[in-house]
Amino acid sequence: MNSTAEPYVLNIGPQHPSTHGVFRVRVVMDGEVIRDLDMIVGYLHRSMEKLAEERTYTQNIPFTDRADYLAAMSGNLGLALGIERLAGIDVPERASYLRVIFAELQRVASHAMANGTLVSDAGAWQTPLLYMFREREKILDLFEMTCGARLTTNYMRAGGVSFEPPAEFWPALNELVAELPGRIDEYMELLADNEIFLARTRGIGIITPEDAINGSLVGPALRGSGVPWDLRKAEPYCVYDRFDFDVPVGTRGDVYDRFMCRMMETRESVRILKQAIAQIPPGPHKNDVPLALRPPVGEVYSRVEGPRGENGFYLVSDGGPAPYRFHLRAPSLINLSLLRELARGASLPDAVVTLGSIDIVVGEIDR
Amino acid sequence: MILAFFALSGLTVASALLVFVARNLLHALAFLVLSFLGMAGLFLTLSADFIGVAQVLIYAGSISVLMVFAVMLTPLASRNNGSTLYVIPAMLAAGGLASLIGFVAIDTEWDERKGEALGVSDFTTTVAGIGDLLLGRYLLAFEVASVLLLFALLGAIVLVQERRRAGEEA
Amino acid sequence: MSEQPMRPATPMLRQIAEHRSLLQRFMGVSKEWKGFALLLLGGLGLSNLAIAYVVIDGRLDGQWYDIRDLGNVTQHLRSWMQDEGFHPAVPYLTTALLGALGILSVVGGWLLIGSWVERRVLAKFQIRQGPNRTGPFGLFQPIADAVKLMQKEVVIPRVADKFLYYAPPVIIFIPAILGWGPVPWAGKMSFLDLNVGVLYTIAISSLGVLGVFLAGWSSNNHYSLLGAMRTVAMMVSYEIPISLALLAVVLLTGSMQLSTIVAWQANYNAWLIFLLPFAAFTFLFASTAEINRTPNDIGEAESEIVAGFYTEYSGMKAGLFMGVELGNAILVGAMMATFFLGGYTMFGLETWIPGYLILAAKIGAVYFLFVWLRGTLPRFRLDQLMGYAWKFLIPLSVVQVLLVAVEASIFARWETPALFPLAAFALLNLGLTVEMVRRWAHALGYAPEVAQQQPVMATAIGGLKAAQKMRGG
Repeated sequence: MNSTAEPYVLNIGPQHPSTHGVFRVRVVMDGEVIRDLDMIVGYLHRSMEKLAEERTYTQNIPFTDRADYLAAMSGNLGLALGIERLAGIDVPERASYLRVIFAELQRVASHAMANGTLVSDAGAWQTPLLYMFREREKILDLFEMTCGARLTTNYMRAGGVSFEPPAEFWPALNELVAELPGRIDEYMELLADNEIFLARTRGIGIITPEDAINGSLVGPALRGSGVPWDLRKAEPYCVYDRFDFDVPVGTRGDVYDRFMCRMMETRESVRILKQAIAQIPPGPHKNDVPLALRPPVGEVYSRVEGPRGENGFYLVSDGGPAPYRFHLRAPSLINLSLLRELARGASLPDAVVTLGSIDIVVGEIDR
Repeated sequence: MILAFFALSGLTVASALLVFVARNLLHALAFLVLSFLGMAGLFLTLSADFIGVAQVLIYAGSISVLMVFAVMLTPLASRNNGSTLYVIPAMLAAGGLASLIGFVAIDTEWDERKGEALGVSDFTTTVAGIGDLLLGRYLLAFEVASVLLLFALLGAIVLVQERRRAGEEA
Repeated sequence: MSEQPMRPATPMLRQIAEHRSLLQRFMGVSKEWKGFALLLLGGLGLSNLAIAYVVIDGRLDGQWYDIRDLGNVTQHLRSWMQDEGFHPAVPYLTTALLGALGILSVVGGWLLIGSWVERRVLAKFQIRQGPNRTGPFGLFQPIADAVKLMQKEVVIPRVADKFLYYAPPVIIFIPAILGWGPVPWAGKMSFLDLNVGVLYTIAISSLGVLGVFLAGWSSNNHYSLLGAMRTVAMMVSYEIPISLALLAVVLLTGSMQLSTIVAWQANYNAWLIFLLPFAAFTFLFASTAEINRTPNDIGEAESEIVAGFYTEYSGMKAGLFMGVELGNAILVGAMMATFFLGGYTMFGLETWIPGYLILAAKIGAVYFLFVWLRGTLPRFRLDQLMGYAWKFLIPLSVVQVLLVAVEASIFARWETPALFPLAAFALLNLGLTVEMVRRWAHALGYAPEVAQQQPVMATAIGGLKAAQKMRGG
């Protein structure tokens, strides 16, 4: 395309239907084609990392809810694991299983949101989104039963989880796990062979494995471009090494592959959930941990495979009750950094779909 | 009938006047479309439904879009059109044309009908007649026009085709 | 596990558990009301029998109280006025005003309930309830919306072209109302039965472009301008397939008069959608592009350009743009029904049921299809849509026009009953369409088996080396 038209600047966001939050992109456009773009973040900045230095370790767990607010459980888990490693705390086996169950439920919920909004970005008038919200709703109900909160769960603690799930939790979970595969088949039927959806997502926003690794992408964005990297397999935490599951990997690295990777990961999550429900042992859900935890001097980087990729937590302890340094490695922020390369030369609708497939959460980007 | 004629011709003439009074090119365009529509109405009152509808289809619908694109693709098209020296020859030409048409209109022997005879017409529909004429008596003109349009289409395609630079594969 | 009885754990689950279905609610109604409903149904049945007697008797035909065709009323009114010796303009104007009133009430009535219908049906597709709070079943929701929109502050961009900014919400309504002119609602119920009705339809639909463009241009916003240019480009492109599809219809029926086209379909008991499947599809698809509905709603693609050409409009002006979309949807439904679905006729059913009700039902069916599409499909991209029009619809439509021209000339010379050639044409056209579409799609490079290649399960875990190993092996 060598158009002679005068380029103009289009300001997308911070209030725009497809920026998934308060995120702003200043795009230099030439007709419908994007020449260049500037990503402007920080509209949701809450100074989380600095605030965390004034709070005890347990008080910092709610921050992880509000960083990636679509995957609070994964954030909780990452920080809890970090504190445990820093302070040398043991976790009961039952608590580990509960953590796995909730993290996988959270993954299903988050992938439902990501794929639903992606299809909405591609123009389906919210039907897939609302269908996927049906399952997400049930998962959030399970969260609500267990810890009273739906989004900002604040559930995992150093040394276990905060509550034992109530009696009605287990039948509801079994019901959900039984119906999930059918639902996923339904979405596959609706979307996987949909000509329009294929036309909109196939060959769009291609990331090669080399680019993905150089851009230090993580999560489905990385796996979608063909790199089989999953922390649950590569560096098993909790009890993930006891489960039998596969890691779906894309073949082309386009938007469709990222979408399908999420879809198939949901299926794998259901497999993990089934095994976890079958294996979960009785016992305490929590070890007693002092309220004002004073870990020994040291540093730790703990990471878990969240729905969006590697949720990293870097904690430095100076021996006091509050961390000396608290840093989040937000997968969304780093995945987003490739958008400029992907969107240059693409048309506006393609860029929107690409952004949707990267699946950002602005709470995590801005912290 | 008289009422409709005066209303429509008033609309046509008034909006045609506004076309050149308007300083903004797109305002002028909007009035031009209104004028076209009034003219289509005039054709309809003359039982020439085909011409009337064609007027709407071609002039109000397509030519206006063409002009819109022309205006959009012209730099500084929406600027204030100040007075230029072109106004004098334009006025002269318009005056000459108007007097010519007026003279012809007055000079021609119109087949005037009044009262009862007004309701009677020599034909029921113009479409079939126009079709017969186009594909019979004026076949050559029709074909020449279509060939001309085809060439215009091809020319447009050739003009906007992306040229590959020499020695560079696509 | 504790022994306490299971209860819905969250307030929402509790609400769902307590919800009674419509049938359960109906069964809970008292006996008196049930008896009343039964009586009502019986009375309706009896009155229907009486009507059937009168209709078979033929006593009703052409009477002014024959409500199967409201044209009878105006006809009688006009002849009465002529008998009384009024000025010739009076019956003319009266009937014209009555017809205009009818069209306006159709469009206006639809605007009153249309958004409720759309949202409600869409909600059912999306497993939710839809508006159900305002009035019975939420029926007053559009009124509440309109009141809210009218109360909103009028916000006009400072850099907008004031004169052109105000006009488009009104301009854009003109084709939506004028388009109803030639639609025949029953044998005599046609406001403007032009003998160039098809051309009129195309001409009117081409007028919509201007309002859209002026709206987008005068707002002085990049989103608006992008939306306007997209819409204009698409409308101009898709007018050609529409014209070609309608040309096929005109060739086969031999008339451009909408009432004649309907009469042709009624006469041969053959809807044109069976005879010209590709034309029907082209018309439907191109119309969705013309009226900006999914999957072709790129002119106001919400996820890309916010609201397209009416991004800068607020309050009732934006409401008018949304309203005109609803109005256009049923107008296209009426056109689709008239051209391809037999119009107000239904294989003889129009003797019993008023034709306008049949047409309304067909419009409803087409509209339902639109909502269904909206609830199911994602959106095309601009270049894909333009390519679809120019590379796919137009060439195939031209081929179809040639084919139909041959068929029409055969049909005109046919002596024996029309059933045989029509059935042959229907089968031939269907087969040819399927084959043509398949071959042309493959010629354009469409390859479904490549496109559907899905992710594979990882055989190794690791970084780039693992990726290369997987790709190689």
